[in-house]
Amino acid sequence: MSELWVELEINNRKIARKTQAHKRLLDFLRDDLHLTGSKEGCGAGECGTCSVFVDGRLVKSCLMPVAKASGCKVETIEGLAAPGQLTTIQQAFHKTGASQCGYCIPGMVMAATSALRQNPQAGIEEIKERLGGNICRCTGYTKIFEAVELARAVIAGDQSEDVLAEEPVGKSYIGHNQRRIDAPARLSGRLKYAADIRMTDMLQMQVLRSPHAHARIVSIDTSEAEAMAGVAGVITSEDVPGTDGFGVFVHDQPVMARGKVRHVGEAVAAVAAEDLITARQALAKINVVYEELPGVFDPEEAMQPGAVVLHDYAADNIVKHIPLRKGDVAAGFAEADIILEENFSTQQVEHAYLEPEAGIAYVDADDVVVVISPSQNITHHRQMLSRILDRPINKVRCIMSPVGGGFGGKEDMLYQGMLALAAMKTHRPVQLVFTREESIVASAKRHPSRVRYKMGLKRNGQILAIRFSMISDGGAYGMSSEGVMRKAAILSCGPYEVANLCVDTTAVYTNNTPSGAFRTFGGMQAQFATESMMDIAAEALEIDPFEIRRVNMMLPGSKTHTQQELNSASLDRVLEAAEAASRWETGAPHMRGATRSDLGGADTRAPCTLGARFAGGRPGADGKERVW
Amino acid sequence: MLTCDNYHLPITLQDALVLWAAAPEGSRLVAGATDLLPWAREGRAGEVHIPALVDLSRVAELHGYTTAKGRVRLGANTVWQAFLTDSALRRLLPCMPHCSSWFADDQIREQATLAGNLANASPVADGTPPVAALNGVLELAHLEGDTIVARTVAVSDFVLGPGRTVLEPGEIITAVTLDSASGYGGSFQKVGQRRSLVISVACCAALVKTDNTGCVFEDVRLSLGGVGPRPIRLNRLESALRGERISHGLIDRAAHMAAAEVASRSRQQYRRSVVVSFVGAAIRDALADQSDVVVNFQDTEETASV
Repeated sequence: MSELWVELEINNRKIARKTQAHKRLLDFLRDDLHLTGSKEGCGAGECGTCSVFVDGRLVKSCLMPVAKASGCKVETIEGLAAPGQLTTIQQAFHKTGASQCGYCIPGMVMAATSALRQNPQAGIEEIKERLGGNICRCTGYTKIFEAVELARAVIAGDQSEDVLAEEPVGKSYIGHNQRRIDAPARLSGRLKYAADIRMTDMLQMQVLRSPHAHARIVSIDTSEAEAMAGVAGVITSEDVPGTDGFGVFVHDQPVMARGKVRHVGEAVAAVAAEDLITARQALAKINVVYEELPGVFDPEEAMQPGAVVLHDYAADNIVKHIPLRKGDVAAGFAEADIILEENFSTQQVEHAYLEPEAGIAYVDADDVVVVISPSQNITHHRQMLSRILDRPINKVRCIMSPVGGGFGGKEDMLYQGMLALAAMKTHRPVQLVFTREESIVASAKRHPSRVRYKMGLKRNGQILAIRFSMISDGGAYGMSSEGVMRKAAILSCGPYEVANLCVDTTAVYTNNTPSGAFRTFGGMQAQFATESMMDIAAEALEIDPFEIRRVNMMLPGSKTHTQQELNSASLDRVLEAAEAASRWETGAPHMRGATRSDLGGADTRAPCTLGARFAGGRPGADGKERVW
Repeated sequence: MLTCDNYHLPITLQDALVLWAAAPEGSRLVAGATDLLPWAREGRAGEVHIPALVDLSRVAELHGYTTAKGRVRLGANTVWQAFLTDSALRRLLPCMPHCSSWFADDQIREQATLAGNLANASPVADGTPPVAALNGVLELAHLEGDTIVARTVAVSDFVLGPGRTVLEPGEIITAVTLDSASGYGGSFQKVGQRRSLVISVACCAALVKTDNTGCVFEDVRLSLGGVGPRPIRLNRLESALRGERISHGLIDRAAHMAAAEVASRSRQQYRRSVVVSFVGAAIRDALADQSDVVVNFQDTEETASV
């Protein structure tokens, strides 16, 4: 690996040093200079978490070999404002609440800075376009765009700087624009996420993952990898000292594949080495012999007798079945004027938080195994690690690093056990940072679902009975599946009072990527089916969709699907507000007029188009040269 | 992950050609590097070790552009963002800013070059249709002894198929020359899986020039990308429009002729219907893009019969 002498100016400071020739500007900033404000969200130029200025032009530092920056002036998020201060743009982000998880924020601030430097009068469409290379998963962009427009107004002198200040709280915090206390740390790039932390003597870990969906592991030979210079340790399931198994409800998942692999991307072995490249090269030296097994990839097939079995403890491949019964469904259907039957399916969804999984583990001087990771459930992870590592709970410590977006995806434990084992084996701090591709391959997803729905109603729209049966693909391990099935069942028939219902939700093992926690925790899949049914029923009965919901809505005193009596309910007010806000035309769904009055209002967003900067007229038309 | 033995940053063409000719097998030329780094990742090329990377971005002879005899000669280091930020280029190459605004994003366009886009020879490259419409020619250079030898190849002959070009070992693209189309209106249409940062499924570039009264098509240039292994100029359509009275009916009839040009192996039906809409929209957008001319359609859009 050849080295390269790089001389450049970063944030007005001259830098001259040797680095590796293959490094990207991002690696040089983060690894060599510890300027970790620039993040690596994807490494492929898609997300913009790494945006920096090079000679005044905004670029993605993950796409720039460091050699290209030699002799250049580089400006990073750390260089925008003096230490302890924020630029007008950063203050505007603070004011509008544009920073949530914060992982996209350094790049987003850089893109906003670039946009207003290029065109201080940029309109909202042009701002959107100029920020088009940066992805945010928390805000839906609205607050970010608000921030850029606010900053533009302050910079142009159209608004006083006072608008950036904290607003005094009145009688209530409700409705008050409260600035987030943790936003400045994120806006300045100073906050350290797990991948940003450097410890003395720290090793880098890389994980060997299964190329097979279902295979018996005949043998794992790590000897060649362990013999490599720079490799500090290789771990497999053999290294687990305690009871190997984790999961939120059923502990069916080994820290690393034990005996067999059950999905593509399952961890099989891991290497801790002096540097990332050595760790990656060592992975190629691990020899795993697999005996491929037939797999099952459809949850309904997995439920058939004779189907491939994933886990010995569950011969029927059922992770969890949640039944819910209320009233007499047969009697309800018998009284119905109309019976509707439909099938619904939803797909697997990736959380795609901007921060790929990352963590550090070390064994401290008191023999406490410490795991730092953006875990959304550290207490439970700690309990599970205590059993896996066979250590008393006071000898395991979990520290939650800032979560760069989770959406439930960082609730299920995944790699924390591997990190702990490697730290225990090497007695050195070990860091693991997932690539984006690895995050997508290995992390849990939203449960794909299939719902068979039968709804019986009276002619006035009142629901008399529902039979709701949901089959969910749980993938290879249980993870949060049981909880997701419970929530899906509890919320199944929506906020409607139904006297007679028969609900079954079932998660099934398959050789697909495991499904786990994801915002709404099963509620969304169920609501998609139920709300679709409400619209279908409204159409069949020629009732206004709001009306049919009002006929059935839960009210104070209503009994929920799990037969809890409600003291309060707000659906009436929600429907009223939604109806007004959407400028709803009253009538059955198929009775719309020729024109829709609900589209194109001030509160609706036009479809995205490109070329906003052309709209300012052709170049030179106004006698002034515009920067495009 | 990309690793290399050597990373070269030559500053003269001579040095670049010497380094490139001497580079061990498997070495790569680098211009913007915006395709190279994402390629060397899991799911694509994976672990990639390259003996030598020869980065052309500092080669002085490849910088800038010149104009002469109705042609614009773009040095191979011309980046995509220049088509938006350089007012002279916007005037001379009216379809390029529209194409550029659809190409990747503002940041990638600061690094990525037009020549690199052509060299990648993707059947859905955004760069080939507008370059074909501008009668683009690539200038290639290689060494014979110590002497730099140049040759030229039309863009339509440069691409042999997906990922394959006529570039010989040791050869470097030094420039792309294009017709100067000052006074034309330009446009670009593109559809992909999403709006930004996306590879085209199909794309279309147009250049249109009318007479002063905006009544007659004096010249029309149309080309398609993503509908076959190589970019296609729609010569038949162009002749059908050239010299004709401008009308919506004529544009619609011409657009329908484009469906027959779709030769891709996948999603043919989809691409055919897209192409018909694209050609119609491209012509109308390019008409509207002309400066100082108000187009005078013979008919209204509603009365146009196909």
